[in-house]
Amino acid sequence: MSEKEDAPKEIVGYRQQPGKLPFSRPGSGGKGKFSESTDQEMIPESQGGKLAQEWGPHRHDELISGRVVGKSTALVDSSWKVTGQAHYGDDVRLPGELIGRIVRSPHHYARVLSIDCTKALELPGVVAVATGDDAKNRFGVLPVTKDEHAMAVEKVRHAGDLVACVAAIDEATAREAERLIQVEYELIDPIHDMREGLEDSGEPIHDRGDYHIGESNVQKRVFQEFGDVEGMIENSVASHKKNWIFAGVNHAFTEPHAVVAHWDPTGRLTLYTPQQVPHYVHRALADVLEIPMHQINVHRTFVGGGFGGKSDPFPHEMCAAILARKSGKPVRITFDREEVYWVNRGRHPSRIEMNLHADDEGRICGIETDALIDGGAFASFGHVTTYYNGVLHTAPYEIGAFHYTGARVWTNKPASGAMRGHGAVNSRCAVEVGLDDLAEKLSVDPISLRLANLLPPHSATITGFRVTSIGMRECLERVREESGWNKKFRKLPLGKGIGIGCGFFISGSGLPIHWDPNKFPHATVHLKIDMDGGVTIHTGAADIGQGSDTVVAQSVAEVLGLPLDMIRVKSRDSDTSPVDLGSYSSRVTFMNANAAISAAMQIREELLDATVEITGAERSGLIIGDRRIFLKKDPAVGVSYLEALHKSQEDRGALVASGAYRTPPMGKMHKGAAAGLAPAYSFSAYVTEVSVDVETGQIKVDKVWAAHDCGKALNPLAVKGQIIGSCHMGMGQVLSEEMRYGRSGNLMNPDLLDYKIPSIHEMPEVIPIIVESNDPEGPFGAKEAGEGPLLPILPSVCNAVYDAIGIRTSELPMSPEKVHKMIEKRCREEEVSDPNNLPSPSLQHSSLQGVLENRAKEHRIRDKDRRLDEGRSDYHNGALFGLDPTIPPDEVDPRWSVRVTPEEEYLKSPRLAGSAWKHTERRHAEGQK
Amino acid sequence: MRMPPFRVLSPKSLDEALTMSRELSESGEEFDWVAGGTDLLPNYKWHINVKRHVISLSSIAELREISEESIGAMVSINELAEHESTHPVLAKAADSIASVMIRRSGTVGGNICLDTRCYWINQSETWRESIDWCHKCDCGTGADCRVIPNQNTLCVATYQADLAPVLMCLGATIHLASPKGKRSMSLCDFFKLDGMTRNVLEPGEMVTHITLPEDASDWSGDYQKLRQRESWDFPEAGVAVLWKGDEGDGPSNLRVATTGLESIPSLHSEEAKGALENWSGVETVEILSESIRKAVKPVQNTWFSPSYRRKMVKVLTKRACRKLLVS
Repeated sequence: MSEKEDAPKEIVGYRQQPGKLPFSRPGSGGKGKFSESTDQEMIPESQGGKLAQEWGPHRHDELISGRVVGKSTALVDSSWKVTGQAHYGDDVRLPGELIGRIVRSPHHYARVLSIDCTKALELPGVVAVATGDDAKNRFGVLPVTKDEHAMAVEKVRHAGDLVACVAAIDEATAREAERLIQVEYELIDPIHDMREGLEDSGEPIHDRGDYHIGESNVQKRVFQEFGDVEGMIENSVASHKKNWIFAGVNHAFTEPHAVVAHWDPTGRLTLYTPQQVPHYVHRALADVLEIPMHQINVHRTFVGGGFGGKSDPFPHEMCAAILARKSGKPVRITFDREEVYWVNRGRHPSRIEMNLHADDEGRICGIETDALIDGGAFASFGHVTTYYNGVLHTAPYEIGAFHYTGARVWTNKPASGAMRGHGAVNSRCAVEVGLDDLAEKLSVDPISLRLANLLPPHSATITGFRVTSIGMRECLERVREESGWNKKFRKLPLGKGIGIGCGFFISGSGLPIHWDPNKFPHATVHLKIDMDGGVTIHTGAADIGQGSDTVVAQSVAEVLGLPLDMIRVKSRDSDTSPVDLGSYSSRVTFMNANAAISAAMQIREELLDATVEITGAERSGLIIGDRRIFLKKDPAVGVSYLEALHKSQEDRGALVASGAYRTPPMGKMHKGAAAGLAPAYSFSAYVTEVSVDVETGQIKVDKVWAAHDCGKALNPLAVKGQIIGSCHMGMGQVLSEEMRYGRSGNLMNPDLLDYKIPSIHEMPEVIPIIVESNDPEGPFGAKEAGEGPLLPILPSVCNAVYDAIGIRTSELPMSPEKVHKMIEKRCREEEVSDPNNLPSPSLQHSSLQGVLENRAKEHRIRDKDRRLDEGRSDYHNGALFGLDPTIPPDEVDPRWSVRVTPEEEYLKSPRLAGSAWKHTERRHAEGQK
Repeated sequence: MRMPPFRVLSPKSLDEALTMSRELSESGEEFDWVAGGTDLLPNYKWHINVKRHVISLSSIAELREISEESIGAMVSINELAEHESTHPVLAKAADSIASVMIRRSGTVGGNICLDTRCYWINQSETWRESIDWCHKCDCGTGADCRVIPNQNTLCVATYQADLAPVLMCLGATIHLASPKGKRSMSLCDFFKLDGMTRNVLEPGEMVTHITLPEDASDWSGDYQKLRQRESWDFPEAGVAVLWKGDEGDGPSNLRVATTGLESIPSLHSEEAKGALENWSGVETVEILSESIRKAVKPVQNTWFSPSYRRKMVKVLTKRACRKLLVS
C-alpha cells in the first residue's frame, strides 16, 4: 500500500476531535478502512430488512447487524492449520521435557500380583516410574460411574490396559525401560461376548458394591414403557422385526492422543492436551492427584479431530501428570495408533432387536426396542448411551407405544464410549430400515409414510421431550424433490437403488454431566474490550475442528456490528476461560453462542447508552451497523463504534461483560426422564443412490442428497462441511469400518490400513441441503449440525441397497462378503442361478397410499399454523391416536401410564437385554435374605 | 511406533552393493536390502525381523533402467505404470497398487519380493506379545502358527502383490545377483511355497531386473483384483488372464495366474491348458473360472474370509476373460 493510499481520504462516521484521540487513523478499527453500508438482504423482515422469515420472527432479530451471521465464513483458526503453524498435542515442546511411555497389559483380564521396576530404574536416562499405587483414586467422565484408575489397581481389564508408566530422557530409553518393567499376573477368565456379560460371573469386571446388579457384568440397565403397549400388537396390520448386530467402530481421528504435563516452580500443574472436555479433565486431575482445582491449568491444544473420542478424562493424562510430579520435569506422552484403539471410547458393539408396528391407518402404533450394548472394560459415557439407544428414536414420529429394554455390559475389551451421534446411530438405523420394511409391507411409499406420521412443531414426544422447532417435513420434501425420488424409487434396474433415511438428535444435553445444585450455567462467555476496539472473547468451549471459536466470534461480531478481524478468541486455558462443559452432545453452538450473545448484548447496551449521550438521539431509534451506531431514520446522525466505546470507557477503562446460558426446566419426572432432554432437536433426511455389484456384493454409494435442519446456519460453509463429513463417517460404519476381534479376543485391526475408513474413491457426491427452522431458543435460531447429520446416512444406504437388489441387512458393516451371502440366499429363494437375473423390487401402491398423502397434506397445514402461532396450545404425542393433544396422555389414560421397571410377567420371557432385569441389585438381594 | 536403530549403506553400483553384501556376510552380520522401503520400513517399525544393517539400492542407476523387454528392480511402480513401453495389463496392475504416494516410492523389485502378510504378524511387538507370538517371527520362542494351530512347519502368511501374476503370464524371467554370481530363472520358479522363505533368494542375493520374452506384446488380457477400498488396500485376491491370437475361434494360448490367495502367486497351467483344449467360449470361461476357484486355498488371515475370496476368484477370472469373449 502506498503512502498516499494509506492516508485517510475521508472520515466516515466519526466526529473529529483533534488532539483528543491519539489514533493515526481515527476510523472504526478492523482491516477495512471505512464502515460498510448494511446489507439489507441479511436483515430480517421483522426489522424492516429483506431477509424473508417464513418461519416467523426470532428473539435475536434486533441484534442482527448483517455482518457475519448466515454468511459462509472460513474458520477463524483455519489459517493456523493450513500453514502448519497450529500446535497440536504432540507439538508442545517444553525445555527439559522427558518422554513418557506406558506399560500395558498383554492379557485380557488378570490380577496384577507384582510390578518390579528395579531394572527400569537402573537404566541410564530413566528418571521416574509410576504404578497404580501412585494414584489410587478413581475417576470417570460421569460422576455416577467413576471406575477408572490412572494405572491398574489390583486388576487389568483388557489387553492394552495401563499397568505402569515410565519417563526417560528420550523415547528410545523410555521404550527400553518399558520392556524392563516386570509384571507378574494371575490370569482370570475373560469375557468377550457381550451376551455372556448378562450372566452371573465368578469375577465381575468391576465391583459396584451394594449397587452391583446380581453377580453379573451388567453395568446399566433400562426399562421403559410408554403409551398403549397392550394395544400395539392388537391394532397392528403390519409388523417388522429384526435382530441387528452392529460392530464397534472407532472415531479414527487424525491426531493420536498426546499430552504434556508440567508442574511449574510454584507447584501448579499445567496439562497440555487435545481435549473435547477440558473441564472434566480438570475435575478428574484434582481427584486423582489430590490437589485443589485452582492449582491446575488445563490447556487445550489444537485438537486434530475428536468425534467423541477425546471427551473422557484419560488415564494417560493422569500418568503424564504423575510422572511430571515425580520427576520435576515436563513429561510428554504421545500415542501410537494402536494405543488409540486401546483407549477407544468408540461406538458400542451392539445387538439390537427392533420391532415396529403399523395400524390400518398407516400410523406407527408401536416401537419395541431391545438394545444390548458392549461397553468394554469401563463405564465411560455408557450410562447415558444405554438410555440414548432407546429414547432418541421416540421422535420425529408420533407413535402409539414405546417399549424399551436396554443393557450395557462390561467385557474385557477396550472401553466403548461416546462417538458422533452418541447412542442414537445404531438404533436409528434399525428404526429407519424398519420403516422402509413397514412401507414395503403396507405397499406405500416410505417417504409418504414418514410425512404422514410426523410430530408437529412445539410438541412433546411420548417420553415427554419438549420439541420446539421441527424442520423434518421440509427436509423430507426437499430431498424427495431434488433427488427425483418419485421417478426412481422401485423403478431403477437391478443393482441400482435409492433409499431414504431420517435422523433426530439432541442439540445440547439438558442436564450437565456434573449436576450441581447451585444452578451453574452450562456455558459462560466473558468479553473484554479495551480502547483499541478489539474484542477478546474468553470461553472454555473446546474447538475440536468443528468451528466453535468461529461461531462464538461470529455471534459477538454480529451483535456489535464488527468485522471478524476485530474479534480474538481465547479458549485455551482453564486459568483464563470461564467454565464450559465441553464439546459433546452437540451443545456448543446452541449453548455457547447463546452465552456469547447475552454477554455481547450487555456491551451493546453500553454502546447504545454512550451513543445517546454523545448524539442526544432517541435510544429506541438507534441501530448498529458496520462499526457504526446511528439513527435508523437518519443514518447521518450517529457515531463510530470506537467513539461510542471510548465514551463508555470514561473513568473505568476496558469494558467487560459475562454472559451465561442454562437450559430451562423441561421434561417429565420418571426415572431416566432427563436422558435425551435437550433445549432443541435437529432433524435430517437423506436420500442415497447406490450401485451394487451383484456378483461381488460390493456397494458403491453414488450420490447423497442430504437435508439437515440446523435451525439457522450461522456459518453455512461449516454446516455443509459437517454434513459432508458426517456422510463420510457414517458411510464407513455402514460399509467397511469395524473393530474386529479375533478368536483370541484380540483386536485384529488396530491400525489405519486394516481399519477400513472409506478413501476418496469411495466418497460419493454429497448435495448438502440446509433447512432453517428458526429455533426460538437457539442463538439467532440455530441448532446443532455436528452429530445429527450422521444418523440418516446409515439407513438410507441400507434402504437403497434393498431397492437395488432386494436384500435387507441386519448386520453392519455391510461388507461385500455379507452382502454376497445375502445375494446368494436370495438367489436360492428366487431359484435363479445367476444373480444378474434376480428380480428388482417393485411397488404397487395400496389404497393406504392415498390416506397417507391426504394426512400428510393436512399435517403440512397444521404444522405451518403451529410454527407461526405464538398462542398455540400444547400438543402431546398421542393426538394422532385420538387422544386430547393438550393433556399428557399418561395423566388421563391408564393404558398410557409410564413404567420404568419390568413386571414379573415380563421377566418370564425377557428379550436379550431385558434379561438384565432378572438380577437383583445386591442391596435388595441382601434385604430379601 | 519407533524405528529400531540400523545402519544404512548406500552403494553407488551393483558391484559395490555385492561387495558390501559379501563383507557383511563374512563378518557374520545379517542385513536387508531396501528398495522403496514401503514394505520393509513399516515392518521394521513393527519390529518384525529387524536387521542391524540395511543396504539401500536407491543410488544404483543400472537398476533403474526400463525398456520394453527389461525392467530394472529399482524402477518405481509409478514409472512402470506410466511408461509408454509397459505392457497394458502390467500397467493396469501397477496402477492399481496401494496409492500414488506409495507407488512413487515402491519399486518393481520390492513388489515382487513383497513380504507375506498375516493378521497375526503385521502387528506391533506388544500386540504380538499378547498373543504369545507366532511362527513367522519371534521364532526363538518356538511359537505355533496362529492361523492354523498345531502346525509349525509351514508359514501360511499371504503373498499380496499385484505385479507377479501378470509377469508370470507374460513369461517373465527374473535375474538375480549375489557375491557368488548371477543367475536367472522363470519368475514362476522364483517363488517357494512358504510364507517365511517366500522365494529362492539366498542370504545376500538380490533381484536386479526382469526381462520379458520377445512375444510379450502379442499377449493381451486383463488383471482383476478384489479389495475393500479402491485405494491403499492390498489385494485380497488377484487374477491375471492373458491370451494370444484370438481369431474368433478362441485363443491360441492362454495363461492364468493368481495372487493374494496363498503364500506365493500361482500360474495355473493345467487349468489353462484344459480350457484351451476344449474352447467353446462362455462355457469354457465358466469351467475355467470354477477350476481356478478350486485350485486356490486361501486361509483366514486377511480382511476377507477365505470362502468369499475363493468365490470371488471365480468372478474375477470371468471378468478378466470378458474381453476374450467380446472379441
